Amino acid sequence: MPAILTVDDSRAVRTIVGKQVKELGFDVLEAEDGVQGLEQLAQATVDLVLLDVTMPNMDGPTMLQKMREGGNQTPVIMLTSESKRSIVAGAMKMGISDYILKPFKPEELRQKVLSVLQGEPGGADVVQAEAPPMGGGATPATPDPTSGASPAGGRFVDIVVVDDMENVHKKLRSMLPGHISMNAHTSAQAALGACREKVYRVVLIDTEIPDVNSAVLAQQIRVLQPHAAMVALALRTSNDVTKEVREQGFDDVLFKPFRPETVDDFLLRYFDNQDFLQVEDNVLKVAAFSGKADRIERFYARLHGAFPAALEKVAAACYDEVVLDVGTPPLEGDRLPKFVLAVADKSKEFGMSLSLVGPADVRKVLGGYTETKDLKFFGSVPEARAGAAA
Amino acid sequence: MSVEKLSAELEVILVKRIQADQLFLPSMPAVATKIMEVLRDPDAGMKEVAKLVEKDPVLAARTLRMATSAAFAGGGKKITLQEALARIGTKALKGLLVEASAQKLFVSRNPQINDQLKTLWEHSVAVGILARDVLALTGNGDSESAYLAGLLHDVGKPVVASVLLELERQLTEVYQKGWIDSGEWLAVIGAVHRKIAVALAEKWQLPAPIVTCIKDSGEYDKGDRHSLANAVCFSNALSKKAGIYAGTVDAEDNDAVIMIGRSVIGISDDILRTLTKGLRERVTGLYD
Repeated sequence: MPAILTVDDSRAVRTIVGKQVKELGFDVLEAEDGVQGLEQLAQATVDLVLLDVTMPNMDGPTMLQKMREGGNQTPVIMLTSESKRSIVAGAMKMGISDYILKPFKPEELRQKVLSVLQGEPGGADVVQAEAPPMGGGATPATPDPTSGASPAGGRFVDIVVVDDMENVHKKLRSMLPGHISMNAHTSAQAALGACREKVYRVVLIDTEIPDVNSAVLAQQIRVLQPHAAMVALALRTSNDVTKEVREQGFDDVLFKPFRPETVDDFLLRYFDNQDFLQVEDNVLKVAAFSGKADRIERFYARLHGAFPAALEKVAAACYDEVVLDVGTPPLEGDRLPKFVLAVADKSKEFGMSLSLVGPADVRKVLGGYTETKDLKFFGSVPEARAGAAA
Repeated sequence: MSVEKLSAELEVILVKRIQADQLFLPSMPAVATKIMEVLRDPDAGMKEVAKLVEKDPVLAARTLRMATSAAFAGGGKKITLQEALARIGTKALKGLLVEASAQKLFVSRNPQINDQLKTLWEHSVAVGILARDVLALTGNGDSESAYLAGLLHDVGKPVVASVLLELERQLTEVYQKGWIDSGEWLAVIGAVHRKIAVALAEKWQLPAPIVTCIKDSGEYDKGDRHSLANAVCFSNALSKKAGIYAGTVDAEDNDAVIMIGRSVIGISDDILRTLTKGLRERVTGLYD
């Protein structure tokens, strides 16, 4: 088990530090000053020293100097109420790994102790560390040891919205299908916190958040969410906003105020047609329609665009039978029969027979059209599969 | 003339001019050109003007001076350019812009001096951007005021530079005499700018937190960890580390400032990694 030596003339500080370090699973050794600290180092193997500056008998810088002169290169974190740059610069010359100003938060101590023991760069070196590229495929950032959950281990959420206006959250939520999950935050801080704990598919960031540079926030979130699409939320203006936000590192822009067609395009782009027409084995399942009447046309247009690829996938898996679970689609007009007929024709092209699954009212509608009234219809997917096997 | 003597004489001249309110305060060429564009556009609003002002420390300082009032005098209130612009009003602001556009900065015959001049401006804007982001991303403090404080922290440098350029023009064009090299030029600015900036800030009664940043104690304030001065001190070091700085940098001392600032302000390594990313691109082209 790694051991940490805390050198501080304050018993209270040693106790607090010792408790927190033990919680991390490390052994703790204590010393009241530099003299005792050097004695401890001579007697035991230590992985890290937490060193105060001002102490009686021998201060921290002197102890550090004697350690290095004696060939002891044990990592040292300076933990002190001293903030004079000349003193810290002097300690840096002797190779301190990091610095913590008292009073400190437990998270800072834990994070810096773990970083040093894991050999990660600290201090100014971080500035020059290469940040992940703006495109996809970047390496995820090192999980924050204080967060309790890494991005990869977190819960998956489809969309996170960062906009200081709550009305924007509400409006967008009302325009998204129910199966699309969404988190919303009014501040950069809250969004960053969420991005440390969850995994998002799309991050929407307002370009005009008070007190925050949206481009920098996007960069920050990109580090935490390397695989998410970064989309700017911007007002429609005469300027070339799309070009502008792309130059800032965003992948795309979604304009406010939201319009049904642009939200649909956004969904189509980032959530693919699979969300509207899911494929499982030989079953094509149409997602529930939750929008307003003026979006029905687009709903069916999207299904028409999506089903050929879905059928091809089923055919490629060598199924003779395909099941179309239409769920509870909008029944106005002849859109549903036209869609079903198109699926039936395409299935035939692939050499597959089609079975339909849906509630009674759907059956009734389809039964009213010559082209669809003779198609096999079942109340559930198991029934359809059993019917196909019979 | 030695650097020391030139610095001393320049300081006397500048302090006198400040006291007599006879300081020549030019704008950077790119800003002057853009000002003319904005003034020609009848549809240009306060937002366009604010964007210009926030890119030029001298113009920002002049705007603040015009807006200085009892509301700002206490020093405890939020200080933003938007508030200052709103306080001034469109008419007075346009007057300021007309004046600023006419006072275009001289250009040096020495290309290295021109490069240094350009970097002086870029550094000021970079520190403004970083200071704002530092406070915004840590969720502490007044980030918009931090931008202004960062922008103005070295406001003495362009003031001294403008006088040096004026002297250069007189000596080389009028008297056909030689002029100092870029190293000496920077040394003179380094020796004089802080005192000039403080004199200017006090004469103009700029808000107290801004004056604190201009004074630059070089140490962090442990009692107010998220103060504007701490954000500017940290951002100044970050900008130097990122190479956006005219002059020599003591790398070890600068690294110490960053290391201390991380803990004082509470900057996580995740935030630190992204603060300077793309910074150069954001400040490039401001001067050209």
